[in-house]
Order: sequence, then structure tokens, then C-alpha cells
Amino acid sequence: MARVRAMKMLAPALLIVVASTQIALSRTLDLTPWKGGGFGMFSTLDHAGYRGVDIVVDAPDRSEALQVPASIELAVARAAACPADWTLRAVAEAVVARERRYQRPVSRVTLTFWRADFDRATLRPSERPARSFVYDVP
Amino acid sequence: MRTIALRELASPGRGWTTAPAATVDVDAPERDPRPARLPARDIALCLTAIALLLRPMGPWFVRPAILAVAVLMILSPAMLRSAWAWSAIAAMVAVRIADDWPLADNHVYLLGYWAFAIALSLRTPGSEAALAFSSRWLIGLAFVFAVLWKVMLSPDFLDGRFFRVTLLTDPRFGDAAQLIGGLSSEQLAANRNALQLLPAGAELLEPPSIDEPTRLRLLATVATWGIVVLESAVALAMLLPASIVGSSFRHVALLLFCGTTYLFAPVAGFGWLLLAMGVGQLDETHVGLRRAYVAAFLIVIFYGEIPWAELALGTGRG
Repeated sequence: MARVRAMKMLAPALLIVVASTQIALSRTLDLTPWKGGGFGMFSTLDHAGYRGVDIVVDAPDRSEALQVPASIELAVARAAACPADWTLRAVAEAVVARERRYQRPVSRVTLTFWRADFDRATLRPSERPARSFVYDVP
Repeated sequence: MRTIALRELASPGRGWTTAPAATVDVDAPERDPRPARLPARDIALCLTAIALLLRPMGPWFVRPAILAVAVLMILSPAMLRSAWAWSAIAAMVAVRIADDWPLADNHVYLLGYWAFAIALSLRTPGSEAALAFSSRWLIGLAFVFAVLWKVMLSPDFLDGRFFRVTLLTDPRFGDAAQLIGGLSSEQLAANRNALQLLPAGAELLEPPSIDEPTRLRLLATVATWGIVVLESAVALAMLLPASIVGSSFRHVALLLFCGTTYLFAPVAGFGWLLLAMGVGQLDETHVGLRRAYVAAFLIVIFYGEIPWAELALGTGRG
């Protein structure tokens, strides 16, 4: 009987664990409330449309802001949804690999995670840098 | 006339007909010619398999397998009632979530829990009751977290900003903003322009103002509080004992939520899943509710496929 009850509770228990973890990650790692299994979709403007990662590539005689190329869109989307060290590092490494493919020099990649705030009264948006990540090419 | 007892018309798990102990009159001309009604659990499982087919998901290494298993489930009752098949679906959904974490939508997680719950229930004595229990708790908890985010955790929901901005900027809500909110297409375009993001630190000398007609503000307010009330009602209905809320209130709340929300919200997959899970709480006596759920499932298909607001706008413009 206890085994049957435990089996019935397994899936709901899993939901509670994942959703609670999602709330913790949104508070500690800036995970967007829309993602991660916490059921925060349609609850806030803090979603992919109003988050992003700016990329600046540096090298001797070079400092250039990059548009996000298609080949790293997925990595950037993941980093914008959860700007943790490992997601940002994945973007930086993908940028370095791409620059090298095109035989362009790169010694440092600076990533700036930003998100938008909307004024409570006028709704006017403003972009707010929330985190910077510097990757020195080894 | 001779009456004989039938224990099983067909072995469970091998055919669609799974009548319990029954008696039939041999050679009786007045025998009911109607086919046996499918158990509610099988309808819930079948609707879940259909939902899997309607919205293929995942990377190439799981999508074809999910689709293939779903097709086999619809064709074969044995597959539909196979705990292994549902375990496989749950595992593939988990792979799909992990593959591009954290980008999967929330209903993909709920689908994974639901497939897992089905697999467990099929290994449990009294599988219908186990499935109904899991369905109730999964829906209830998902809605508790949804309400928690809207009411306590998000800084911009209850003050109306979320819907005020979303109605103006999200193209999926643009037609509704015009049809119900009373915006002209020119006002909508100007508002979208005014709400465009500027780079950090940049500021316009004369920033354009945002034009929100009274009807649009009212729509945003009704959407904000309406969704909180509906989601809270579903959460309470599912999690409180039936002796307090009544089981029919659970179904009314869930059907009302799906019937209104998915008219606007562009996430039909979530609606189909909730409706399939709702059927999982029914028993053989709930004939009307079973029809209502199947009808709602079809209506959500039509909501998603027919650009009703765009057509209504076109009619209005002549």
C-alpha cells in the first residue's frame, strides 16, 4: 500500500523539486522565469524578447562589437535565458572558434548580459546591463 | 434463451474492448449493437498521444522516435497501455529538455511528468485511480507555481505592465489588441515603435508617447486579474479534497480555463495536455464530461489554426 502511494506521488514530487529549483535559479543565476520548468511563463516581461547578450571581440589593433551570427544563436539564447558562467563561457568559446575559422585575431571576448525594464507609468523601456563576462583566450 | 457470463471479452492490453465481468444473452435479438465505450483512461492516453503528434518536439535524435511511438500507441491498444512505451516517452522528453536546457517550454516538463505518471500508474493495481490522483496533483501544482510567479515573484504582473506591454508588442496578441482593445493598426505600429529598445544609456530627446485607449487598458486589467482568478480556481479545485470543492467543479474550472485562455494564448500544446490530463480524472459515469473534454480538445485545435481575430478584424473593416 505504501509502495503504491509512493509511486503515485513520484511525478508530483518531481514537479515540486524542479519548479522549486527553477525559482532558486531565477533568484541566484538570473534564469528567466519563463524557462526551466517553474511555470512562470506569461508572468513577467523578463523573457527572451527583452534579454540579450552583447559581444565585443578584442585583439591587438582590433576591438569590434559583433552581431550574433547564426552559428551561435542557440548558445546565445541559452546564455540570455540563464547568464551563468558556463553558458557565457560556451558563447565566448564559440565566438573564438568562429573568429579563428575566419582567420581573424582574437585575444579577449567580453560579453554583456542585459535586460529591459519598463517604466511603471509610461511603459518606456530601458536596457540595463546586468552582468559582464570576460574571456581571455588561452 | 441462454445467459452466459463473460469474464473478459478480450485480454486487457490486447484489444480495444475491455469489458469487465458481464452477461450476455446468447442469440438475443434485442442485444445492444453499440460498441463498448472506451475507458476514460484510454481516451486520456490516446489524447496525449495525439498531442505528441500535433506538436512534434525535440532534436533529430528523439523527435522521430517520439512520433513513431505515438503513432503505434494510436494504432495498438497494447502499446497505448504499455508502461514501457510511456516510460520511453518520458525518457525522451527528459532528453529533449536536457538537450537545450533551459530553453524548453514549461508544458514540455509537464508532458514529461505526465508520461512518467502514466507509466507508473500502468504498473500500479487500480491504475485508473492512480492516474486520476497524479493528474489532479500535477495540474494543481503546475497552477500553484503559475499563480505564485504572477502574484508573488514577478514585479511586473499585478501592476498590469506585463499585459499592457505584451498586448502592444507581441505580434501574436496584435489582432486581439485591435479587435478588443480598440487600437487602430496605425496606433499599434506607432506604439510598437515607441516601445523599441534603445541601447544602454541612450535616450531620445523627444521620446514618443504610448497611446493606450481606455478599452486597451481595461483589456489589460481584465486579462491580468482574470488569469489570476482562473488559475487560482484551477489550483484550488485540483488540490482541495472533493468533499470541499466537488469533483465537477474541478472539471468546470479546467474546461473554463482552457476554453478562454487558449483563445488568446498561442500555446495550444499546453491546452491539449491539460485536457488530456483532465480526462484522466474521469470514470465511466462521466459521459457528459468526457464529451466536453474531447470537444474542448478539438476547439483548442480550431483556436490555434483559425486566425479568428484577424478574420473578425477583416470583416469589421469591410
